[in-house]
Formats: sequence, structure tokens, C-alpha cells
Amino acid sequence: MALSLTTWVVMLLMMAVLWGGGTAAIWRSMHDEDRKLDLIRDQGKIDTYSPRAMADLREWVQANPADPYADEARERYNECVETLREIDEPFYDWSDDEIEELERL
Amino acid sequence: MSEASARTAREEWGTRFGFLMAMLGAMVGAGNIWRMPYTTGQNGGGVFLIAYVLLLFVIAIPGLMAETMLGRYTQRGVIGSFRQILGDKRYAGLALVVVVVNVALMSYYAPIIGQSMYYAGHSLLPTFFQSGFEATPFWNSFSGSPLLTIGTHTVVMATIAVVLTFGIKKGIERVVKYMIPFLILSLIAISIRGVTLSGGMDGLAFVFTPDWSYLFRGDMWVAALGQALFSTGLGWGIALTYGSYLRKHDDVALGGGVFTALGNTAIGLLAIFAVFPVVFAFGLEPTAGANLMFISLVQVFPQLVGGQLWAIMFFFGFFFATFSSGLAITEVGVTTIAEQTRLSRNQSVLTVSGAIWLLGLPSAYSSSFLGSMDYIFGNFGLPLATLAIIGLIGWKLGPERARVLDLNRNSDIYVGSWWDGIIKYVIPSVMIFIIGYGAYTSVGTGDQTLMIGGIALMAVLTAASIAVMRVLPDSSDRDAVTAPKGGD
Repeated sequence: MALSLTTWVVMLLMMAVLWGGGTAAIWRSMHDEDRKLDLIRDQGKIDTYSPRAMADLREWVQANPADPYADEARERYNECVETLREIDEPFYDWSDDEIEELERL
Repeated sequence: MSEASARTAREEWGTRFGFLMAMLGAMVGAGNIWRMPYTTGQNGGGVFLIAYVLLLFVIAIPGLMAETMLGRYTQRGVIGSFRQILGDKRYAGLALVVVVVNVALMSYYAPIIGQSMYYAGHSLLPTFFQSGFEATPFWNSFSGSPLLTIGTHTVVMATIAVVLTFGIKKGIERVVKYMIPFLILSLIAISIRGVTLSGGMDGLAFVFTPDWSYLFRGDMWVAALGQALFSTGLGWGIALTYGSYLRKHDDVALGGGVFTALGNTAIGLLAIFAVFPVVFAFGLEPTAGANLMFISLVQVFPQLVGGQLWAIMFFFGFFFATFSSGLAITEVGVTTIAEQTRLSRNQSVLTVSGAIWLLGLPSAYSSSFLGSMDYIFGNFGLPLATLAIIGLIGWKLGPERARVLDLNRNSDIYVGSWWDGIIKYVIPSVMIFIIGYGAYTSVGTGDQTLMIGGIALMAVLTAASIAVMRVLPDSSDRDAVTAPKGGD
């Protein structure tokens, strides 16, 4: 029995989304793991938040200064700022200007 | 804090690959191999798959991210995580509900692992290829023999206990690193053989041809929802437990959420390619469920060239899929007991495995008891457990706080604010809907008594768990005490 065009489309779509997506996810995950381990080996530490995630964290701390988790969030933020200033090569896509502009909370 | 000094007494996954394979192994189970293919075919084929993938992205992936994040953040098991986030022990009993549901689930899953192990063993012998072999009497002689069903249940729990005594890295990780690739490779090989069989394409047409009339049918969406949620193991405490053994620099969102859900479903898709062409090429009944595996397919392998090799690959792959899930489900209880009592890990393994073995004896003895357990805990227990875990993150920890503080920390992908509403409103609503729908559709059917009993059991279990946790003294939480906070 020959498959109809619609059947082929659905089948290939599922293969692309699931196998393609799963393969891309594991490849990216393993690649990032290698890079993180290399950076930790070379520098002793790595930055923990991307620029967008840092901005979220900063906005949240500023909007919720009395939150029970605010101290911990501030600590994590400051720790990432310090790390970015100490290391030569960040894991995330930080520019020198962005790092320069960062201030401790 | 340096990476070296950040190491704690708590064990960690040795490699990212090991963690990913463990998550995949935990979620891939019998349901992916025998349930997903025929559920797809029965519910509009391609339309069901499209709905399923949509729900996977909207609900299962965000939910798995949340659960894994909770474990990584607290570095504790289920009860320890609840206690840390709740800050007191008044409602930490909800965590006990999750653990009890897990133990109950494993008590009837272990006999199913026993079935797959029995058939994997016989594929080696090779029983299915001897002259005069008949599949139905062989299955009946196994399932009707308490000696065999309880015996295999016992061997399974003993084997799981042995693996778990070696710990996370030397036990679970070492085993799944080989089992899951074997499962995937065997399914790929069988798929290639299957689609080249005469008539094999009919099976793919059955599964993938979309019947658009199903698009607006509520029961199709409910079936897709059930498959998307329960085949990914969301809310069982597994992702939380495995996440608690992550190293601090590890990513949660991509590995714990996206890869786990897509990888699990990709294996389900492989199972479709492996099983259904064979089913249609040999005119088997596609909706036969367990009978498809244990009666129908064993008759097919001797008719294939190189049949024994295909049988070994298929039944060992199937056994590995169920066994790796069994390891994960049991580990939820082991981690919890080891943290919440003064028992050592080995003692905790023995306690939990022994309890599961004992509770599993009725399910091993009687398939109707196993079916009742599956109905009660599948329809009411698991949604309740998921509601507890996702509710904790959505309504107590707070999704925005969880996301900005920890989910996006060391993450390989950025998770935006779209995630917050899904965790706070969508998943809890879906769980309440599933419980209500399960009850509603049982009214006036043969399951009505079981439904009433199941809901009553869950109510009693919840009340008793909350009462027990209020009375019990605070745990030692030995691992958590040494777990530092801070960065890499």
C-alpha cells in the first residue's frame, strides 16, 4: 500500500520534530557540557547566567527587595558579576561592554 | 567557592550523558512500546500525533523543567524538597503522598518488568524457535503460574536492589549508559527490517494517516493529554530525584525538560516504526496491548530471516526499557528514605525494595489485581502526585522566582516568562481535569466501584500522610546539611 501525501507529510514532520529535536537537544547539551568543563578546568569557575537571565534576575530583585528569596537571588547575582569580572572567557555570550556595565546589587 | 570544594557528600551524576540516558531510561517504559502505537492508530492517527506533540511542548516539557529544577535547587529528595520549600512540616505530608504513589506504582510495574525479563531470557534459549512452540499456551503457562510470576517479580526486585546499592554513578548511570543506546539501536534495526516487509507500509498508514474528524473530538485530546503527561513521567518525583543529583554547573531546562520529553517520544515513534509494520505485515491485531508483545510477536519472529536475532534485540530492548524505569521509580523511595531516616543507602535500598516486593505480591499473583491498581493509581494517584509537585512550585515557590533564580541558572537555553503561567495555572488545572474526567467517565460503568474506592483511597492517603508528617520529628537530612549554596 502506497502512503498518501498527507501521511508522508505527517510522518516526516513527526520524525523531524521528535528525532531532529531530540538529536539537536542532546548534541547541544553534550557540546555545552564539554565547553563548561573546559572553562572550569582552565579558569576554576564559569559565569552562571546569560545576559537575558541576569537581566531577569536583576529586575526581579529590584521589584521584590523584601522577598524571602531576595538575599539568595542577590547573592547569586553578585557572584555571577564577580565571576564575569575575574574570568577571561565567559560561557555565555557576554560582551566586554555588558560586563563593564554590570554592578553588584 | 571552587569546583573542588563545592563537591558535597551527596553523590552526583558522573557525566551529562549518564544523566540524559538515566532520564530517558526512566521515562521510556512499556507504555512507549505497546501503548503509544495503538493509541495513535485508534485516535485519528496523524491528528493524534500532532495533538500529542503540541501538548508535549505546552505541558510536559515545561512541567519536566520545573520538576528537575526543584530537585537541582534543593539537592534533596521528594520529602526534603517539600520541607525546604514549605518551610514547615504541616503540609509536607503531600510529599509522602508522592512517595507512596511511587511505591504503589512500582509494586505493580515490577511484575510487568518480570514478564519482559522472562521473555528476554526465553529469546536467548531460544524457546520461541523450537518445533511445537505455541505462543498462547506458553503465555498462559507463565501468567497462570504463581511460581513463575512471583519468581520473576522477586528476581526483578532483587536485581534492581543490587544495582541501586552501587549508587547513582556506579549503579544507575553505569547500567543505563549501555541499556538505552542498546534499546534505541535495536528499535532502529527492527524498524528497518519492519518497513521493508511486504505489507509493512500498511502499519505506517494506520498510524500516520490523519483522520481530521478527530480534531474536534474531546476524547482524542484527552487520550493525547494522558499519553503526553504519563509517558513522560511528569510529576512522579523521578525528575525531582534525578535532578537532585545534578552537578551545579549542569543545565536543567534543555536536558531535564526538552531532551527528556522529545527523546522519550522519539523512542515511542521508533517503537511505532518497529512494531506496526510487523503487525500489519503478519495480520496481527494492533490493539492487543500486552498480548501483542507476548503472544502475537513471538509467533512472528520465527518467520523472519534471522528471527532469533530480531527476537533477542526486541525483547532485551523491551526489558531494558522497563527495567530502567523500574530503577528510577524505586530510586525515588530510596533517596527519600536515605535522607529522612538514619538508614544507610544500602539499608534504604533493602527497605524500599523489600516493601515494593511485598506490596507487589498480589499484582504478581493476580492480573486482575494488577489492573485494578493500574486503574486507581493511573487515574487518581499519579495526577494527585503531579498536582502536589507542580503545585508546590507554582503556588508556593512561585514560578517566576523559580525561573529567574534557578531554572535559567547554568541553563543551555533561556526560558522566558511564558513558562510561569503554565506552571501556575495550566498544569494544575489539567491535573484536576484528569482526576474529574477519570471519575466522570467511570460513572455507570463496571469501574464505578473501583473509582469510588480509588478516590476514597486517595483522600485517606492524603489525610494520613499529612497527619503522619506532622507527628514525625524532623529528619536528619544528612546530605542536605552538607549541601552548600552558591555558585561554581
